[in-house]
Amino acid sequence: MDADRVTALPNPLSLVPSQAAPWREEEATHSMRSLAYFIGTFVVALMLGIGSAWYMIERGSPLTTTKVGPWDGWVSEGNPSADPYTEAHVARSGRLPLSSTVARYFVARTDSAGHTLTSACQYSIVGSPLNARWWSLAVYDEYGGLIENPSARYSFNNEELLRHADGSYRVNLSSKARPENWLPSGTVDQPLVLLLRVYSPRETDGSGIGLIPGDRLPKIERTGCE
Amino acid sequence: MRVRIPGLYIVLGLVLAGLIHIIAVLTLPMLAPRNAHARLAALGPANTMIELPAAAPGRQAMPMMAPDVRYAFCRFDLANGPIRLRAAIADELWLIALYTPEGENFYTVAGADMKRPQLDLIIAATDQTVEEAGVDAPESSDEVLVVNAPVTEGIALIRAPLAGPSRAARAEHALKDTSCGPYTKG
Repeated sequence: MDADRVTALPNPLSLVPSQAAPWREEEATHSMRSLAYFIGTFVVALMLGIGSAWYMIERGSPLTTTKVGPWDGWVSEGNPSADPYTEAHVARSGRLPLSSTVARYFVARTDSAGHTLTSACQYSIVGSPLNARWWSLAVYDEYGGLIENPSARYSFNNEELLRHADGSYRVNLSSKARPENWLPSGTVDQPLVLLLRVYSPRETDGSGIGLIPGDRLPKIERTGCE
Repeated sequence: MRVRIPGLYIVLGLVLAGLIHIIAVLTLPMLAPRNAHARLAALGPANTMIELPAAAPGRQAMPMMAPDVRYAFCRFDLANGPIRLRAAIADELWLIALYTPEGENFYTVAGADMKRPQLDLIIAATDQTVEEAGVDAPESSDEVLVVNAPVTEGIALIRAPLAGPSRAARAEHALKDTSCGPYTKG
């Protein structure tokens, strides 16, 4: 009884090849190809979807960030009305940034020429004063950790920087001691991240977000590599 | 036939990728296990002011902490009533910021904006009422600040930026005098 029912099922895969009409065989390879296409499409879609989401959350996009030279600033960081990308960025970062109406943060992973910042090279960071109550330039490893160095110097803020007569400054980012403002990049060969935090900018845009003109952000020039 | 099928799959793939992208972006804030709230919750109980040690290599409560800012935080929980935060603002650079667990900075007051250096801030949930002298009278509202939090749990973070390296000890001392605890009248 059971055996009768099995043979009665119109299952093309159970047909022996001699019984299969040529068009049926073609249909079988056709559906196999469809399945492969479908799986392939799904895998590509998964990579595209996750990859684009990761990139836009981690590094930003024109929707969420302003890019001036090497500096990326998230326009709505910490803001309660921030877009989902910015919210995801903040949650993932593990930081508690002040709302962009109170402070602005600018991150650089490359020098002004676009080369990745690394402790194997020396950099000259030249800038002018910012119109804010307090600001500070700090260097981190790629995970946001401070870098061990003998002088325990991890940042320069507006009160500490040695300045030129016109108020401009130069910070020397390098592993070996330099004159002027030496920001040590440590002895471990690794990529670096610079963070410029600007608390209470005095100028704001129409929506109250702190405004730092792009030309006020420091230039990062590579002066040599080991 | 062979030309038409890939075209269909490209459209399907793009639609799928778009959907996956949107789902990933929207669910990520909830799925980030190492967000700031989780990191700070591991450091101590709620409704207590906890001073963070000065950021140094290998000793950072959160990534990218400012080495030239001293921090103290209070993880507030309004389940049993409002929370009162008091601080003697030692410096006009100080910033007192309130956050949701997801890191939205819904309220900030700067030392420079305060009329007097004594901060007395009450954090209440939207359904909690605070009866305090001066709260209802706008002209004396600089006495007590009442903030209606959009969440029942969150973080109050005090930042004391250092005007110079010699100010560290003073800022750390001033942060020790801040307090955070259940609200009691008066």
